Amino acid sequence: MIGIDLGSRQVKLIQMQKGTVSRREMRDTIGFYRQYGRMHDGQLQIDLEEAGWSGDEVIATGYGKMAVSITGARQIPEIQAHALGAVFQSQRQSFTLVDIGGQDSKVILVCDGKVADFITNDRCAASSGRYLENMAAVLDISLEELSRYDQDPAEINATCAIFGETELVARIVEGCALPQLAAGVNYALYHRLAPLLKRMDSELLVLSGGVALNKALTDILARETGRQVLRLPDPQYNGAIGCCVFGGI
Amino acid sequence: MGRVGFTTTIPVEVLLAAGQEPVDLNNLFIGANHPQQMADQAEEAGYPRTTCGWIKGLYTAALTTEIDSVIAVMHGDCSNTQALMETLELQGMDMIPFAFPYDRDPQGLRASLYKLMDRFGVSEAEVEREKKRLDEIRRLCWIWDDLTWKSDQVSSFENHLKLVSTSDFEGNPDRFAVEMDKLIMEARQRQPESGKVRLAYIGVPPIFTDLYQVLESMGARVVFNEVQRQFSMPYQTDNMVDQYICYTYPYGAFARLADIKAQVEQRQVQGIIHYTQTFCYRQIEDLIFRQKLGLPLLTLEGDKPGKVDARSRLRLEAFINMLG
Repeated sequence: MIGIDLGSRQVKLIQMQKGTVSRREMRDTIGFYRQYGRMHDGQLQIDLEEAGWSGDEVIATGYGKMAVSITGARQIPEIQAHALGAVFQSQRQSFTLVDIGGQDSKVILVCDGKVADFITNDRCAASSGRYLENMAAVLDISLEELSRYDQDPAEINATCAIFGETELVARIVEGCALPQLAAGVNYALYHRLAPLLKRMDSELLVLSGGVALNKALTDILARETGRQVLRLPDPQYNGAIGCCVFGGI
Repeated sequence: MGRVGFTTTIPVEVLLAAGQEPVDLNNLFIGANHPQQMADQAEEAGYPRTTCGWIKGLYTAALTTEIDSVIAVMHGDCSNTQALMETLELQGMDMIPFAFPYDRDPQGLRASLYKLMDRFGVSEAEVEREKKRLDEIRRLCWIWDDLTWKSDQVSSFENHLKLVSTSDFEGNPDRFAVEMDKLIMEARQRQPESGKVRLAYIGVPPIFTDLYQVLESMGARVVFNEVQRQFSMPYQTDNMVDQYICYTYPYGAFARLADIKAQVEQRQVQGIIHYTQTFCYRQIEDLIFRQKLGLPLLTLEGDKPGKVDARSRLRLEAFINMLG
């Protein structure tokens, strides 16, 4: 079974056999579409065989789903894929799934293994991986470095992936130290998520998406919500894994 | 015969009694060939980008169509209407303010109604006579609505289109009635579209041009269009004041809630789409509907006229999938 998550930034491909991952690959979305996509009847069609993935049933999901078709693939909604992947990976049935990807965040309430409700962030890239990437670039540090700080945060309110920079520069001018600035960025992301979490509250928070790798955010979430926080073993591939689960592994 | 534009549903009977052609500027805007260009023109005139797309479209619609004056609903619709009225006045447009009373007080409404009748030089008897005439035409719209949710023979979009048109009856109530008669006869011959996820659509009409088609392609049907249905005045009333007091839309979220609750239950709705316009105060009211309706609710936001964007499609698809 092959699962594909067509993310806004990365395409994630997973092959599973008998419940375990046998192959994985992450590709830059734009490069992937350019290389393997052809326009057909006004729709971008992806040739997976050309991309080196074939010989198995394919289930696809993700941001590109409405506009992109993959030859021979069945497509399922993204929320469903993420919920299925999280149930499979966490081995839990009821939780709040927090998926923070490249350009959006989703909070999904899963009850008894099924989607009970969900909410997504604003239409822009605020409170997403892109925000963290841009802020790390402004601070001239890596994402790994950024994710080390969660104490004594500088006050940062904007989570806009573009205008966040202006605010950060203002704090730098005011003399805030790097650890405070980095913690401020991580806290800004949390503050943006907090209202979504409140609406989808449960005892366990399960984190997926690339931002789940940010340790500071994990710590902030645990501290501020008082909930148990669980990071999925394969957070970035969760949607693709969910596709395989849907297909029956 | 003159033409009078307006910014949302008003007591249209007054205009008809005065021999004026009613023109809902909203319908004119969204039904135009290039509605986005109309919003762009308002921005070029100085409207901030961070303003409701409808208001921008209404501004250009009022200035680019042949109308003698515009009735601006100052209370009971949109908080931006005052500035819309002022900027149209700046362009030399004859503006007529109208207000629904916030507290739904019949005396307050009567006063507003009389002021409007005076402005157009018509009597109460003439206006009530128009109401009786329109009652018959509105009854056709109620049948149209029944064919949507009771027998699943009218599509989500058809329901929306005809009910939303009852604000101005497409400028000619008699012609509208003839067409409705024909449509009803035709719809009654159709096979029911059953087995789809039953949705309610609450909030102002969408700025998206293909929302209903998108929802139907995803296996859902809108069996309740809240505000559009309100435009068709779905109540048996004896007089103008009673009718426009029963009308829920101008009187806030709680007045609307009672109607929504009753209808979603009766129509066996599985989930609700609450549409709000970007930059609109109604986005705040979302929390009231979310708390009070007790059904799965998806908040859908629209900014510019055009097709449903990829992100909204994704959310709609997940919502329908969750309900199905």
